[in-house]
Amino acid sequence: MAHVIQVGAGSGGMVVLDLLAHDPRIHKLTLIEPDVFKPHNAERHYFPATCAGRLKVQLAAQWLHERRADLLVETLPWDILDPQIQADLAERVAEADLGVCAVDNEAAKFCFDSLMRRQRKPWTLGEVLSGGIGGFVHRFVPDGPCYGCVASYLQRSVEAEKPRTDYADPAGAQAALRIPANKAAIFAIASWHALLTLQLLDPSADRCSTTLLVALQKVDGIFDEAPRVHRFCVPRLETCLLCGPPSQSEMPARADDLDRALHEALSRLEHPG
Amino acid sequence: MGLLDSQEGKKRLLTVELPAIEKYNATREPAYRIRVVRYADGLLLRYRLRPAHNDYDLETRLYSNYPVTPPETVVLTPLEPCPHLLSGQTLCLWRTGSLSATSRWDPAKHTCVFAVQAAWRWLACYEVWYVTRQWPLPEAR
Repeated sequence: MAHVIQVGAGSGGMVVLDLLAHDPRIHKLTLIEPDVFKPHNAERHYFPATCAGRLKVQLAAQWLHERRADLLVETLPWDILDPQIQADLAERVAEADLGVCAVDNEAAKFCFDSLMRRQRKPWTLGEVLSGGIGGFVHRFVPDGPCYGCVASYLQRSVEAEKPRTDYADPAGAQAALRIPANKAAIFAIASWHALLTLQLLDPSADRCSTTLLVALQKVDGIFDEAPRVHRFCVPRLETCLLCGPPSQSEMPARADDLDRALHEALSRLEHPG
Repeated sequence: MGLLDSQEGKKRLLTVELPAIEKYNATREPAYRIRVVRYADGLLLRYRLRPAHNDYDLETRLYSNYPVTPPETVVLTPLEPCPHLLSGQTLCLWRTGSLSATSRWDPAKHTCVFAVQAAWRWLACYEVWYVTRQWPLPEAR
């Protein structure tokens, strides 16, 4: 029996959640999602516009309960980037067997990767490409490449339209300039995401790190044929600054010593002479 | 995940970022070395650059969730309004997950010294632009 921790219950995340919940090997789901359901979400979501105003975790919990009353569902309307909840989040990850990341902002993906690596738990991530032309599904395992290695390797060179910087709002999301994916494309990638996640429960299945690139539409210069699934293994970046081996000789083992070493280094650099 | 309040953040500073700054400082005159001060939940790098004929004072901010969030660099020396300069004289350099190779911040490969070097390159472009009114890197968008 497995306990899955999932972050994200958007249009794709909800599909993954539903497919996982239908597998009897999963007995508990912990769902993290801070957002409220908005009327425009209804276009690509399971829920109608009349659900607007309710937390997505509440809607998801109700959906799951109506389909599997025996499933334990823990809902946390948290933002995983909130520094105040990091200790609680680490506890939840430690209790889980595997993780699912279904968010579309980079900071949250890196944060989830860090949490899962620290607790040495396998996890999966789904990413729909702009315009719904396809998507990536990644499976991460302990000691394999981290999300930073994969993101750096792939360099996200597949794009449907070059976004332009909004000088009035430089930190703002560029999503408005991207071509939204249609519901079928989101569901297709989410289904692959659920399949790759469920393979982690099968002891005879291959448990190495894997990336699937799913081509859903033929696009000149990007995908020569579609539908088509490409499978490849991204190597661990030897010099990765996120998961690469730290120079142990310079690293104090105890927390107090670590704080003291950091304090000394910062004091030295406050007045570098 | 915080830079100064998590084990991971502290390790990143001690094994990657601060040694990179010390290496940078080792080959520079005192006036051009990077000073590091605590800033809210993150760090502030204060330094001076001389890309060509003029000195510029700058600040690079490493926020609490650095390196996931890219560093932000502000030029303290007054500049003329120009391309790729945002409000508050913040340099328009990159964003995490950008689709453009020239504006992609890669936390697996980049350190804060890379941000200082990028600021140097930006200022070199500014000095060219100041004279020619043409930004010299056409791929910059």
